[in-house]
Amino acid sequence: MLGTIIQFVIDVLSLGSLYALMALGLVIVYGILKMVNFAYGELIMVAGYSLYLLNGSPLPWLVMAVIAIVMAILTGMLTELVAFRPVREKSVTAVLITSFAFSTLLQNAALLFISPRARTVPLPDIFTRTVEIAGVIIPLRNLLTIVCAVVLLAVFALILKRTMLGIALRAAASQFTMARMLGVPANLIISVAFAISGLFAGIVAMFWLGRIGSVVPGIGLEPLLVAFIATVIGGMRSLVGAVVGGFLLALIDVSLNYLLPQNLLQFRDAFTFTMVIVLLVLRPEGLVRGPATGQRT
Amino acid sequence: MLRVESLQVRYGAIAAVKGVDIAVRRGELVAVLGANGAGKSSTLLAIAGALKVASGRIFLEGEDVASLTPERIVRKGIAMVPETRNVFADLTVTENLRLGAFIHRHDKRRTSAAIDEVMALFTVLGERADQAAGTLSGGEQQQLVIARALVSDPKILLLDEPSLGLAPTIVAKIFGLIEKLRERGMTILLVEQNAAQALKCADRAYVFSLGEVAASGSASEIASNTDLEAIYLGK
Amino acid sequence: MFHSKMFITLILLVLPVLVVVGFADILGGRLGDRIATTLFINLILVLGLQVFMGNSGILSFAHIGFMGIGAYTSGVLSMSMQMKSMALPDLYPVIQAIEITPFEGMIVGGLVAALVAAVVSYPLMRLSDAAAVITSFALLVVLHTIMVHWNEVTNGPRTLFGVQGGTTIYSSAAVATVMIVVAMMYKESRAGILLRAVRDDEVAVGAIGADISRLRWQGFVLSAFMAGVAGSVWAHFITSFSPAAFYLHETFVILGMLVIGGAATVSGAVLGTFAVTAAFEGLRSLENAINIAELFPKPLVGLTEVVLACAMIGFLILRPGGLIGNYELAALPRFRGLFRAADGGRDRPGDRSEH
Repeated sequence: MLGTIIQFVIDVLSLGSLYALMALGLVIVYGILKMVNFAYGELIMVAGYSLYLLNGSPLPWLVMAVIAIVMAILTGMLTELVAFRPVREKSVTAVLITSFAFSTLLQNAALLFISPRARTVPLPDIFTRTVEIAGVIIPLRNLLTIVCAVVLLAVFALILKRTMLGIALRAAASQFTMARMLGVPANLIISVAFAISGLFAGIVAMFWLGRIGSVVPGIGLEPLLVAFIATVIGGMRSLVGAVVGGFLLALIDVSLNYLLPQNLLQFRDAFTFTMVIVLLVLRPEGLVRGPATGQRT
Repeated sequence: MLRVESLQVRYGAIAAVKGVDIAVRRGELVAVLGANGAGKSSTLLAIAGALKVASGRIFLEGEDVASLTPERIVRKGIAMVPETRNVFADLTVTENLRLGAFIHRHDKRRTSAAIDEVMALFTVLGERADQAAGTLSGGEQQQLVIARALVSDPKILLLDEPSLGLAPTIVAKIFGLIEKLRERGMTILLVEQNAAQALKCADRAYVFSLGEVAASGSASEIASNTDLEAIYLGK
Repeated sequence: MFHSKMFITLILLVLPVLVVVGFADILGGRLGDRIATTLFINLILVLGLQVFMGNSGILSFAHIGFMGIGAYTSGVLSMSMQMKSMALPDLYPVIQAIEITPFEGMIVGGLVAALVAAVVSYPLMRLSDAAAVITSFALLVVLHTIMVHWNEVTNGPRTLFGVQGGTTIYSSAAVATVMIVVAMMYKESRAGILLRAVRDDEVAVGAIGADISRLRWQGFVLSAFMAGVAGSVWAHFITSFSPAAFYLHETFVILGMLVIGGAATVSGAVLGTFAVTAAFEGLRSLENAINIAELFPKPLVGLTEVVLACAMIGFLILRPGGLIGNYELAALPRFRGLFRAADGGRDRPGDRSEH
């Protein structure tokens, strides 16, 4: 019994960590631009294919991972240049469509230039090792995910709170034009936001690939969906909301995994979505109340 | 110091500012009065770079800044306090002020000196230094945004309706602070609906009507001109 | 509410449909028929998307999911009992017993899709725009998941075969024509006009007492009905299909057609469908020719999508209103003189879609 509980808790925490990071990467851009990046999932795809292409090289895995993450960062910044910057003044819907189109473009590029079939990616040995706690076998990878997420979140929170860059990012998310009128360079801030988004996506990709083992052009769809739903649950207004949304979604998913009978398990996503809808009926603005709007008088 | 020539600003097909000439000399406090929709805010926003200039020129100390982005304009020394105040609600008062000094952020000493100075001038900010700006009252927020603009050490301060939505006692306080700034030699371009208060501390004034300058002159001239009531009320 | 410029636009829009039917008749050939029928079915889909997206300003990704609902509903229900037991051995007895004609299936398919939309979407209409779009995307995925796993009804991820034929180039053209009228009528109706007003100024519309969620919901349900109908018509055209047909690729194509044509107007939906279909067929032929000629070491797959994606992005950057922009055909400034006599030359409220 204790073993099952421990397994459950670690499952929720590790999956929640991944989901939270996925959601954060999306909200960072949304918070500042108020626009959704549909090509976000493809950043994971790019990281995955980078790993695949580096397979067989003499580099240690960590270096390959860093390169893959850098590729995700660069693709994030490219997304901004191609799908956001030319259109952001026009309308929010336009950006949704351009990023959706860019997402299709990237996926089809992978299809064209690499392959529609799954391709295995190199993974470090540590990902296959397990550890035993209270009689239950836990993949070390899950524990690593939790540690990594905690560290990443802590560092990110620190940057946001203590550095000028963080303050500028938060200001841009609060009042974008006003920040510009104080000298905060608009395009630079946005590029930085996309770069951070790419960083999160890249790191998520490493652990996500650890779970799946291979990469396909459509690999980004599920993380994108997770990020979407976690963000909506969280309220779309704050980073805290994204993290909360991610963990809550993981809780729902893992619980359904444990509870649903075998024949219904394949419909798990439908159940999750139903619960999300119920949640939204009760609280359309999401779970976490956003930052104060500042207008009191 | 600031000279605006034949400024035109459009919102799509609608002309909000239809050819406006304004001049502000160093150390002056110039008021811009007029009814709602007369184009006052649009003029200020255009000077600050937040609105696109359809045509016309804006000279700051001889240099044409009409086509610059807002980030560049603040570096030239034009600081704007918009009518909507736009405090960064979830940042603290201190963080808001630090952002005001963004263009000088590399000079840490200058930044802290500037922040100390405005906190001495606007004492309530010092008291609330670590509070989230969104929790401040309207009057306190107004002081914050003026202070934030001052921290960048601007050559000219653009104030858009600082008394908007504030109780009369607070309005008096704000104008007291504006007077103090003027005494210290700050050049100010002030848009105000509260004509009485504005004319009391202004050197000169312009009256806008329907996107054009309907009258201009010294503050006392404008204050004693009864025809202006008609223009002001849009008759 | 109904005025002459609208009738002229309707005639102008139905004309290309008739022309294509005529062409296909004259040129004959199965290929021409196939392309034309697919065109008309896509047209129904794009019109359905326009009804919601063009009037509410909210992007919905779930549209093709409802197409799938319509396709499976009509496809399965219209199968003979014999066929059902072959194609869907595990099908529930209740459904086994039902047998309807493809025409009835079309109506039922549309209604079932509309019903699902009505139930699922009501809570979603109160969400903010961005949240609504995201949730519609999730809805598409969920519908797809259900289709892929509901083996008893859909045969799972495998192809469902044995669906009755019945769609001809004429029937699909007829349905498409009806849908053009429906889309236009909705746009000019009180509900449609109010919904467009909500897009422009929510607060003002709320102030006159209109229920904003309800307006959006109505548009969404109508849009789902049209998608369901399109799905049914398609099911009886292609006679065998799998859930993969109702997912991201199709969503992308339909969205592309609407965006390029112009989401604000029915004319845009029609024009976009024709334009993109023409371009698509041209590109496909090119892709095939290149592959046959073996110009590249690997066969080109996905080139068409890449080009379409670039075209969409290009249009949104350069001409965000699409080819048609804000005016329906008869009201376009350049044609104004031509149609001035029809109603004295005044602009009507429905002519121009404010963006």
